Amino acid sequence: MSIQNLNTFDPFAEGNEEDVQDGLVHIRIQQRNGRKTLTTVQGLSSNYDLKKIVRTCKKEFACNGTVIEHPEYGEVLQLQGDQRENICQFLTKMGLVKQEQLKVHGF
Amino acid sequence: MAEEDAIFDPTLVKKKKKKKTTFDLDAALADESSNPVTTTTSSAVENEESTENAGNEIDHDFDLENLGKKKKKKVKKPLNMDELETALQEANEETSAAIDIEGEDGMDDTFDLEKMKKKKKKKADINELLDQENENVDVNNTDQWHGSDRDYTYDELLNRIFEIILEKNPDMAAGRKPKFVMRPPQVLRVGTKKTSFANFTEICKTLHRQQKHLLDFLLAELGTSGSVDGNSQLIIKGRFQPKQIENVLRRYIKEYVTCHTCRSPETILQKDTRLFFLQCESCGSRCSVASIKSGFQAVTGKRSAIRAKNA
Repeated sequence: MSIQNLNTFDPFAEGNEEDVQDGLVHIRIQQRNGRKTLTTVQGLSSNYDLKKIVRTCKKEFACNGTVIEHPEYGEVLQLQGDQRENICQFLTKMGLVKQEQLKVHGF
Repeated sequence: MAEEDAIFDPTLVKKKKKKKTTFDLDAALADESSNPVTTTTSSAVENEESTENAGNEIDHDFDLENLGKKKKKKVKKPLNMDELETALQEANEETSAAIDIEGEDGMDDTFDLEKMKKKKKKKADINELLDQENENVDVNNTDQWHGSDRDYTYDELLNRIFEIILEKNPDMAAGRKPKFVMRPPQVLRVGTKKTSFANFTEICKTLHRQQKHLLDFLLAELGTSGSVDGNSQLIIKGRFQPKQIENVLRRYIKEYVTCHTCRSPETILQKDTRLFFLQCESCGSRCSVASIKSGFQAVTGKRSAIRAKNA
């Protein structure tokens, strides 16, 4: 057994990128003009290639979408239309996010 | 967690319910058979029961795990079915007029009701028999183990404790706690692009929450902007249906009003070192609640306008 005190473990080190905001993935909806809406997905782990995810999402849900770099929240998926249900199912089915990590906001 | 519960609840309760009825029948039959012969044969009866109800044991395990939650409903059903049903129906009528606060509870109730009805329809004739037998069991239960030193079965003990509880607390007998009922939100369209939430202040008062807190939550969840106007109504930018606002309100109440431990709505929200704490008045628990964050907001509207503002 090694002496614990001599180990160089920094308890104040920044956690992994994974547990940004407790690992929760926030799915939000925003209203635009008319009956148009936007769906944003915030908090996906940066280990994943969000561009690839958005590419498949676009095909799957037949909508447009993009990845937005945000200084505070990191990379955020943005999809056109109300894709909350779709994206929840997609993310859990692909095993990217667990069901309990998803947090759906909005009405 | 809570969602899971909500999902799993119905099937769980259903299963129990079904098995319960069969079990009760068996138990009642067993009791009937055992009573004339006196309780000396009780060990044999127990053996029978244990073999017959091998499946039930799993249920018991389950009961033990979430005793705190399910106990009440479970035992009440066999005890005063009719009372409960009438109460439920009344409650249902009420809830159709107003929102019921405890989302999960409401779900449960509706499920219960359906089940009850189904059961009633299916076993209309058997039910009477069952009720009689249930009564028999109840009557027998209290003095069943007088003068015998056999082990008590779990159900006997459970019935006993709840009979005692009901005896000592008569107010609990009438449909659990007084249900937390509140007025539905009045949501009107103002013009084409704005929505007015007319009884916003009133709802804040009934929930005992500061307007600002609820306002922050609503705006963060809906991802829009808004403000309280002179007539103490909330004006939100965007088109919203009453149903949608109701959903958000329900979520607010679940997170910030009802106690996370005992689900009672008598709570105080305190701010302590930049964190909000929910202090329960009835059970005394105190827990921190999530802070309100609006998170990432995508750019809607004209970019040129934003640029003009920044410049």
